[in-house]
Amino acid sequence: MILEELAFLVLAAVAVVTAISSLLVRELVHTILWIAVFFVDLSAIYFLLEAPFLGVLQLGVYAGAVTVLLLFGIMVTRKRIFSREAATGIGAVPLALAVVTFIFLVASVGEFPQGPTVIHAYDPSFLSENLFNVNGPWLLLLGLIMLSAVGGAIYLVREGRE
Amino acid sequence: MDVASFVLPFLPEVVLLAATLLIFLLDVLHVRRTEIVGALAVAGAAVALLLVVADLRFAPLASLATLPAGRIDAVGSPTALFAFTSLGLVFQGVFLIATLLVSLASVSRPSDERGAPIFFGLLLLATLGMLLVTVAADLIFLLLAVELTSISTYLLVAYTRRDPRSLEAAMKFYIIGALSTTLSFFGASLLYGAYGTTNLYAIRLAAGPVGFPVLVLLGYGFLIAGLAFKATLVPFHAWAVDVYDGAPTDVTAFLAGGSKKVGLFAFFLVFLAPILFVRTVGGGSPFTGAAVGLGPVFQLTLGVLAVLTMTVGNVLALLQKEMKRMLAYSSISQAGYMLIGITVGTAPAIAGATLQIFAHVFMKGAAFLVVGGVAALGIGPLVDDYRGLGTRRPLLSVAFALMLLSLAGVPLTIGFVSKFVLFSAAVQAQGFFVWLAVAGLLNSALSVFYYARVLKVMFFDPAPAAPADRGAVVGASGPSILPAGGLGYGRAVAIGLSAALIVLVGLYPQPVLGAIQLAAQHFVATGA
Amino acid sequence: MTDLPIVGFVALSAALLAIGVFGILTRRNFILLLIAIEISMNAAILNFVYFGAYLGGTPGLTGQSIAVVLVGFAATEVAVGLGIVLALNRVKGTINVEKATELRF
Repeated sequence: MILEELAFLVLAAVAVVTAISSLLVRELVHTILWIAVFFVDLSAIYFLLEAPFLGVLQLGVYAGAVTVLLLFGIMVTRKRIFSREAATGIGAVPLALAVVTFIFLVASVGEFPQGPTVIHAYDPSFLSENLFNVNGPWLLLLGLIMLSAVGGAIYLVREGRE
Repeated sequence: MDVASFVLPFLPEVVLLAATLLIFLLDVLHVRRTEIVGALAVAGAAVALLLVVADLRFAPLASLATLPAGRIDAVGSPTALFAFTSLGLVFQGVFLIATLLVSLASVSRPSDERGAPIFFGLLLLATLGMLLVTVAADLIFLLLAVELTSISTYLLVAYTRRDPRSLEAAMKFYIIGALSTTLSFFGASLLYGAYGTTNLYAIRLAAGPVGFPVLVLLGYGFLIAGLAFKATLVPFHAWAVDVYDGAPTDVTAFLAGGSKKVGLFAFFLVFLAPILFVRTVGGGSPFTGAAVGLGPVFQLTLGVLAVLTMTVGNVLALLQKEMKRMLAYSSISQAGYMLIGITVGTAPAIAGATLQIFAHVFMKGAAFLVVGGVAALGIGPLVDDYRGLGTRRPLLSVAFALMLLSLAGVPLTIGFVSKFVLFSAAVQAQGFFVWLAVAGLLNSALSVFYYARVLKVMFFDPAPAAPADRGAVVGASGPSILPAGGLGYGRAVAIGLSAALIVLVGLYPQPVLGAIQLAAQHFVATGA
Repeated sequence: MTDLPIVGFVALSAALLAIGVFGILTRRNFILLLIAIEISMNAAILNFVYFGAYLGGTPGLTGQSIAVVLVGFAATEVAVGLGIVLALNRVKGTINVEKATELRF
């Protein structure tokens, strides 16, 4: 048990550090590297939570697709991809807001059982039954959202004949 | 479950989806004329509206647990993802009317844009999301349907893809929208952790004693913040004016008249239940814990939000010089009036808020359509540019004046009826709610100033010496030789229809008001 | 069967949300804004996953289904954002939120 708690502590620390550095680093390409580590780290946390399906999904969609998408975004929108961003201030008000959000959320910690609790693992076949059958309409809605996104985004970036 | 029993309840939605897919198919086949695609969109929206009205008309409104044509699902099932309520049907009608007006007005735009299929397709998809919001009985289903509307509207704002102003508005809209989405989903996740379910009915049953009071309060707090962004309530309103100003005007009409009401209806679904049914027994939390009554907390929060929204919106509207920005701020303040209905939470108050939302489609949505038409005539964006419009365009000016008078709540218009029903319901509810009515009345009085200024400019100020009308048209975006005096038939019909309904319902509100009141009563009675 | 205290996950997701919100409020480059949005979205997804893992039974399964749907949704949202930003970049040559100041308060 102590091994798992140790693993969680390390993974959580890595998640927080990579998330902060991805936002504060001034080279945008390094940002992508940090965020990739962040996504992989979260997928490891899902494996720790005995949700391997989600772990793999996180690896494929986030660490794979979204990271590459963001990298393309940077490559297309700037001439030299290693150019540095102008330094942006931290801002006292947003920082205070973030700290307040964090404190409020952590205030709910007292309501949970403090000791270790059992983690339930799910058979992927049950998960698919739940996802595709019981809660199928969610996926239908996701499909409609994707239809709208694909139609609109293709139109936006397509070079029209003037 | 066989296909028919699943599809039949969603017939209006299926019709809209079919029209959308047909439009995208025509786009692939290079059929992109605005008239053809637009007519398809108008037809789709009209058929869906007829189906919804037929459902409402033939539904035994007194015994609404079941609805005809297969609209069967249980209102209060703790496992269902959707439930058909009569209030939801009324809102479907309102949303479809907004879509119908906007697509009618857009049909008669000059047919030089390749974006017509994408405009109408996204318009219909956004409407589809709005219709699905009204039947949601599950928090995730609700939020995903809201997102369908949001994503479609981000892209709608950007669809004039060479106009930096609208692209920038789309960017702002997207960032704020994505932030609010995140907050909503985070709130939903906290509620899920506290209740072990995302079903609104199951949460409602457990609304009294809760294992995690802090967690639940935080969850609802994040949901309020996320949905308030969508509904443009005041601390979360700053994006709205920029987006309404920068978006193509017809899209603005849709945002103000249609899609922003989605946030308000989500407030109905999520918050009315805890306000109405504060349970003191029972429980649904996976662990045990102390009890909290959430109703009063919500009523105080939403009441404060309502007063803030009305006041800030009106005061800032007073200061604006541009017509679109003034109407945008006025639209924010109207959201405050609508929120009063949810705060009070009695059947008459809900009816009042619903009528206000219904009226707002004709008042604000159509007013933006007028502004779009006037801009196509080559008249500038400032309020002062409307000088002498009353003599040059008497019919259009009278219609616009009717919309503004109705927004101000002048008697004999629909705006007066809705405000009267709403404020009297708040007064009836006694106590703290009387102050909400007082704040609403004071704000209505305040709003008269800026509406009256427009009327004065239009009818009493002399027209500029050389009528800028003709000259500007030639210079501006191509020759605007549209029928119906430069407006185009579709827009003229949409504006005329709205103006007529403002007066008709204002004079004889009973049919509409009666249906809405029945629906509201039923919503309150069967909510639990 | 693994045992882990739930408290740590609550704190982790709270921290991630705070970082994401902070990023959305302070960053000016659109790509960084997208990343901040994704970080806070991941906080919500993490919430659904660990609540699901702790609840067990059908309620727990529901949470993990939601997480699957949300991963797909978040990716879609990024695609839409990139579409808007590419169009803006073509017209204005910048993707910084402050430099694009056609609209004023």
